[in-house]
Amino acid sequence: MFIKSIVNFAYLLGNSSRYLSLKSFFRNILLNSDYKYKRYFDSFMIILIIISISILVYEVKIPVPYWVDFFDIYIVTTIFLIEYILRFWVYNDWHTTVIREFEESDFLGKPFILWKPTKEVLKGKIAYLLSPPALIDLLAILPVYRPIRVLRIFVLFRVFKLLRYTKSIHQFIDVLSTKRFELLTLLFLVFFLIGTAGIAIYVFEETHNDNINSLFDSIYWAFITISTVGYGDISPVTNEGRVISMLVTLSGIAMMSFLTSIIVSAFSEKLYQLKENRMIEEMNKRKKFMIIGGYGQMARVFLQTNRDMIPFEYVVLEIDKDRVNRARKDGFNVIQEDASSFEILKRFNHQYSKIIFLALTRSDINNIYMTLNAKDIFNNIEIISRAKDERMRKKLYLAGATHVLMPTMVSNRILVTAVTQPAMYKVIYALLTGDEKTPHLSELPIIINQKLMDKALVDVDFKSYKILLIGLESISEGRFIFNPSLDTTLQHGDVLLIMGQRVSLEHFKDIYSKPKSIRD
Amino acid sequence: MNKKAFIFGYEEQSAFVAKELERDGFRLYIVVDNKISYEKALKDDYKNVFHIDITDDDMIESLNIEGSDYLICMMRDNHLNVFLTLSLHELFPNTVIVAMSNSLHATRKLKMAGATKVIDTYQVSANRIHNIIQHPVSTKLIDSLLSTEDELSLREIKIPQESFLDKIMVEDFNFRPHKIILIGMIDRRLSDKFEFITRTEEKNRLDIGDTMVCLGYNSDLNNFEEYIRKRREERV
Repeated sequence: MFIKSIVNFAYLLGNSSRYLSLKSFFRNILLNSDYKYKRYFDSFMIILIIISISILVYEVKIPVPYWVDFFDIYIVTTIFLIEYILRFWVYNDWHTTVIREFEESDFLGKPFILWKPTKEVLKGKIAYLLSPPALIDLLAILPVYRPIRVLRIFVLFRVFKLLRYTKSIHQFIDVLSTKRFELLTLLFLVFFLIGTAGIAIYVFEETHNDNINSLFDSIYWAFITISTVGYGDISPVTNEGRVISMLVTLSGIAMMSFLTSIIVSAFSEKLYQLKENRMIEEMNKRKKFMIIGGYGQMARVFLQTNRDMIPFEYVVLEIDKDRVNRARKDGFNVIQEDASSFEILKRFNHQYSKIIFLALTRSDINNIYMTLNAKDIFNNIEIISRAKDERMRKKLYLAGATHVLMPTMVSNRILVTAVTQPAMYKVIYALLTGDEKTPHLSELPIIINQKLMDKALVDVDFKSYKILLIGLESISEGRFIFNPSLDTTLQHGDVLLIMGQRVSLEHFKDIYSKPKSIRD
Repeated sequence: MNKKAFIFGYEEQSAFVAKELERDGFRLYIVVDNKISYEKALKDDYKNVFHIDITDDDMIESLNIEGSDYLICMMRDNHLNVFLTLSLHELFPNTVIVAMSNSLHATRKLKMAGATKVIDTYQVSANRIHNIIQHPVSTKLIDSLLSTEDELSLREIKIPQESFLDKIMVEDFNFRPHKIILIGMIDRRLSDKFEFITRTEEKNRLDIGDTMVCLGYNSDLNNFEEYIRKRREERV
């Protein structure tokens, strides 16, 4: 009976959209670096920590007013405590483990043992509690207990807590961890040298030097000397001691150079990877961005054409090193990865962002694979793909492409037009290439409160601005109307398609895109 | 007599162009520099196919190219295409040379070499991608203009002899009842060049022999062409 109620409760939680969305919200805000509101939360916590540390440090010497203490004890610490509990809560899901175990038992016809999933969840929770970040979180709460002054040293853990919210420190540690072996070797060598030099100076100077009274003093001297700091509070007085001192100083310089070179090489090796990670993080914060598969001729021309006009962030994924270098040289955002790799695409955020994917390589097979892969990962992605011929075009549409380009087909048709109908060619070429001197097609979306809203086309002065009204994408009719009737009234959501010189279009948009004034 | 077009190079792309031009009534001369293309052109039933050394000016001259002919440079090799364009421009300076380019650098060189029109495959496609992303409605229109299946199209319409449109100012004629849009025209009174209606500073006048470029549905364009054949008195 009890177990049944527990299982029912687990199902209740699993089916409660309110519970799930609440948990998902807290999980995102605490753990998901792609979540757009996480940065606000992180900034808030950083500010709170800095305030708290300032209060704790300030009150070491000077008593602070009651309300400041109250703020630190009750507000800041309560927030830390809530955060600690929330992290504990979102770490894993008890209900999913119970449901999974219950269904498995039911399927196999064996009795359901509640302790098994509970143990699994508890094990996870305990592992979390013992993890360094969770321990830091816990210790950061302790300074609140004022009667025991020694607990105030735990203010340091509030400083460590900052690590949670600052990515650059994380990255620094990550980079250094790649050179763990070299750094440990160096550390071992340094300890060996300090030990040897300390013992040697102790042997030679203990009886002659008033400042060296124990082995600790000589080890301290060796440490200060090898670090090339040299306070001067302990210095050798015997010739033997001075020789050791010289050797230790020389080794210290060598060690420092070694340490610097390890850190520099770690960063130079990881530099592009760090940049690439940052690039993906930046993109994931955008509402809309573009991924370009491959840096071939087509992608290059696309990026070079109207490069200021690309309205949102983009990244090129290219596996070939030479092409990656060329893209970098051309000044484009590029990541050296295979655009058809599931793993790399998975790192892009498709929950909160709209993604446009361009598959523009010369190979139809690659384009089809990239299209299928992108469609597999992102349901609502817009894919523009390149095809060699009509048959490939059909295949690409089947694979899920939203638009398929056939470069040779379009240019062939234009070439034929250039020969057969030269005047018309100018129009088509202008529409396709958007030359500065020729007219452009432009779209003007109608939005609430704009001057054009609720206006009949007959009342819009296209002629004075040397603008041609070509058509209207009508929201009410759900289709494009070519050369619409002048009686048509513009509604919110309609899009006007107009044609004219760039300057005329900009002027026209300036006038008519403005919000309605009372007189209008 | 049919217009003549010389197509230099016979690959997949040029085969398409040849087919389209033949359908438009052009007399075609295919000039190639290799045996495979030569045989392919013969296999596709073209009668006038020449296998010559493209780099030899004497051989090009022997093709009897005239000033009114169209020269279409579609060699697969960009370098050869530029060289050929330059040779043709030098030998026949007043002839229309249309060249196909498959690289940005080649486009500039083809223009410098004297091509009248250069169609840059990559540039056209790149702009199409920009259009798809930024101007989805315009893209629909352009797609229907490029498609041979769609009803909406652009058409060059020459004002016929004795048409009632003669000497009528553009702003005095209402195209709207005919459900078409005048995009631009060759107003011979002002210049021999095509000008967009949104660009002209002087007022355009419709005269016999002028060419209008109109946008509309095929049926409306047909009706309009029929309509402007009428004489002034007939219209009354």
